[in-house]
Amino acid sequence: MRLFVQAVILGLLAGGVYALMASGLTLAFGIMRVINVAQGVMIILGAYVSYTLFTHFGVDPFLSVLFVVPVVFVLGVVIELVFIRPLRPSEREELSLLVTWAVALGIEGVLGLVYSTTYRSTIPSYANAAWRIGGFAVLQVQVYAFGLSVVILAVLGVVLAKTRFGRAVRGTVQNPASAALLGVDERKVAAIGFGLSVATAAAAGAVYGVVTPFNPGSHYDLISLLLTIIVLGGMGSLPGTVVAAVLMGVSQALLATYISPTSAKLTFFILLIGILVVRPQGLFGAVERGKL
Amino acid sequence: MRTVSRSGVALTVVIVAGLAAFPFVFQANWVVNIAVFTMMYAGLATAWNLLGGYSGYISLCNAAFFGVGAYAIANLFPTSGGPPGSTPFLILPLLGLGAAILSIPIGWVAFRTRGVTFAIVTISLLFVAQTLAFLMRSFTRGSQGMGIGVPRFSVATYERPFYLALLAIFVFAVSVCWYVRRAKLGLTLFAIRDDEDRARGLGVDTEIAKLVTFAMSLGITAMIGGVWAYYITYIYPQFAVDPLITIGMVLMVFLGGKGTLWGPLLGALLLVPAQRLLAQNASTARWYLILYSGVFLLVILLLPRGIIPSVQDLIARLRSKSDRDTSPPAATVPTVRTEVVP
Amino acid sequence: MSAQTLLEVDGLSKRFGGVAAVSGATFSVDTGTITGLIGPNGSGKTTVFNLITGYLKADAGTVRFEGERVRRANPRRLYRRGLSRTFQQARVFPEMTLVENLVVAVAVPVWALGRRGISRADAARAEELLDRFGLGSHAHRKAGELSFGQRKLLEFATVLLGRPRLVLLDEPASGVNPLMIEQMERHIRDVHAEGVTFLVVEHDMNLVMRLCDPIVVLDHGAKIAEGHPADVRADPAVLDAYLGD
Ligand SMILES: Nc1ncnc2c1ncn2[C@@H]1O[C@H](COP(=O)(O)OP(=O)(O)O)[C@@H](O)[C@H]1O
Ligand SMILES: [Mg+2]
Repeated sequence: MRLFVQAVILGLLAGGVYALMASGLTLAFGIMRVINVAQGVMIILGAYVSYTLFTHFGVDPFLSVLFVVPVVFVLGVVIELVFIRPLRPSEREELSLLVTWAVALGIEGVLGLVYSTTYRSTIPSYANAAWRIGGFAVLQVQVYAFGLSVVILAVLGVVLAKTRFGRAVRGTVQNPASAALLGVDERKVAAIGFGLSVATAAAAGAVYGVVTPFNPGSHYDLISLLLTIIVLGGMGSLPGTVVAAVLMGVSQALLATYISPTSAKLTFFILLIGILVVRPQGLFGAVERGKL
Repeated sequence: MRTVSRSGVALTVVIVAGLAAFPFVFQANWVVNIAVFTMMYAGLATAWNLLGGYSGYISLCNAAFFGVGAYAIANLFPTSGGPPGSTPFLILPLLGLGAAILSIPIGWVAFRTRGVTFAIVTISLLFVAQTLAFLMRSFTRGSQGMGIGVPRFSVATYERPFYLALLAIFVFAVSVCWYVRRAKLGLTLFAIRDDEDRARGLGVDTEIAKLVTFAMSLGITAMIGGVWAYYITYIYPQFAVDPLITIGMVLMVFLGGKGTLWGPLLGALLLVPAQRLLAQNASTARWYLILYSGVFLLVILLLPRGIIPSVQDLIARLRSKSDRDTSPPAATVPTVRTEVVP
Repeated sequence: MSAQTLLEVDGLSKRFGGVAAVSGATFSVDTGTITGLIGPNGSGKTTVFNLITGYLKADAGTVRFEGERVRRANPRRLYRRGLSRTFQQARVFPEMTLVENLVVAVAVPVWALGRRGISRADAARAEELLDRFGLGSHAHRKAGELSFGQRKLLEFATVLLGRPRLVLLDEPASGVNPLMIEQMERHIRDVHAEGVTFLVVEHDMNLVMRLCDPIVVLDHGAKIAEGHPADVRADPAVLDAYLGD
């Protein structure tokens, strides 16, 4: 039982971070029908920037979020303008997947040139500090990372719910044609939305390096996990994404505890197959089953 | 109605004869080595095109089956078994059949989704296969890698048997594509590509068609993986199940022309030699990923339909233009230009 | 009329989130009729088609075809049983030629997938059908190059290859020029004369009143009237439904 509770706590903490990383993917898919395979490399990019700021200037990884977010936001806007906008709408879904994969390879290549393929981690003084609550040990950084994720997700939620931009986004997601009629500038929403979707992930990336060692190729581990989460969540549903992310985090932790840490690597596969067999439309029911 | 045209047959004979003669004309090992990889990708891309080009389903797990073939050969012909000679080539058909059967339950699950979700599910399968290649140590020896018995082919023409084996598989793949295109199966796949839901409403056996095609495509892919492993003679999980192989075949199909018979070959001929030269040169190898990504982006953004369809369009347009030019003078009087920007 | 019932829809219901698109629709189609299904925009006609043909799963209700309850409706199986449909948006396979569009709809058994795509007999049959529908000169062009009206004709011709007993037409005349509407009407009557039953959704009231008998009227997903054209036209509930919105 103790093991179980411990695993659930760890899983929840990790799941919160996954939720932040994956919600950007869901946002981009919802707004523009774009599958962003470069989401993983954006996280790793965030990790490298934060690593550099820390090792060269002693900037705390949680503080470097403030620098990483705008930088990656701009990069995201540029990627949208240059690589995604030219795709024809009828082919955008599938081609965006390949285009963003190519972008991911390019950024991976640049990171390899700059940093080589050695594994790095960011190790601030509190990297190994833990809290003991009721006999359960929890790494402080994990709690901070979870807290950061919840805060950013909450901000994102408020932006979507309350602001003019948020209304434009929701309008576009629900019905692009009528949103355009109501004066929503779809192109602006797409560019800003894409920038936002990668920037939020990169925020998680800034602290990713404190929790996990990484190298330029690490984005594959992340993206396979994140893509599975959005399929489980039902493609395009933000609440679905959050639930799927937490489910992923917890089941990974449980598998790692009760079977083996290596088998936890296959969690996403087991979940994916299980869900697809039972519910091909994903947990929250919007996976594309063709249009009528 | 497509029938067997004389020019089509002539083109096929010329291409196949040219490819078969190549290693006898150009004998330098390094040249044939590049040719081996070119033929490997030509086969992989052609197999990918069978499903991706004809039905529109973007499968990204092909590299996983490449790995299945590679590890099957590695297990059947371990280093300890001595030089296996040409036996590995001979069992390739069985290997392909086995992989095709293995792919059916996987396809059954993956085909519960469509469009971009199918692509995502198959990416996940690819990463799972890579993880499994690290984990299933009894079958793959994990990250320490696995050796295969080294053949005692003559050093001067060492590459030749591998090249010819890959050429044979390529010809087989092209034949399958050619046959499928003119069979009911081809019509079914095209209907799926154009409007799958409507096809279901017209009594079309979409599920079976997709599964059969998936299985054929992956069976061929696995055979190629088997030859690759035998050629390399020592395989590691990260190279046997490599996302770059998947991306490579997709790129070549897009470059040459999705859904065309020879497009994948053309794509491979254009890209693989450049790719090999880059990768082998230490000073350029570091730029490899960046250049690869650059080429991919350029192809998709500038030539999304691929070379062969674009050239066909151009020819058609030139023809209709020259028709106009030779028509009665009234029509050639400088008039409003009616060209339509695509 | 001592006709026998071909299609029986009973209590069919479907919700999309908060919207009840179809709620308890109950009606039947007798063999040998051209039954009309009308109602204001958004009254659930297309959804009823989608439920009957298995493109959507009903929340409640049953469908019987030829006296047999349809369980787990599946478009492919229903087509092979003789129930086919067209779509409101005139769906064709745009990258395939007209002949290919037709031949693909000839239901063949699975083991025949390896056979020649377009046999001589297939081609002859397809070209004959195209001639009949006035599309013969486009036989080897891509369907995507056709006008909207021509696509509607092609789509209608296509479903005939399944040797249907019942054809559901979703707005066969909408977005089509008047000349083509006449053509469409003639084709429906011809096919009807060959013994095929029709259920037709259509907005062009003149066409419906000429062509259909009986007529079923839906509003907010439920049947509000049913009967001969003249009776339906005089029914105050129907006037309300059309004018009320
Ligand atoms: N796939 C769907 N998702 C959500 N709502 C739908 C869907 N299809 C239809 N509806 C809604 O159901 C109602 C009935 O639509 P429909 O059957 O198309 O009406 P009709 O064909 O009579 O014009 C409408 O309010 C429509 O908005
Ligand atoms: Mg309708």
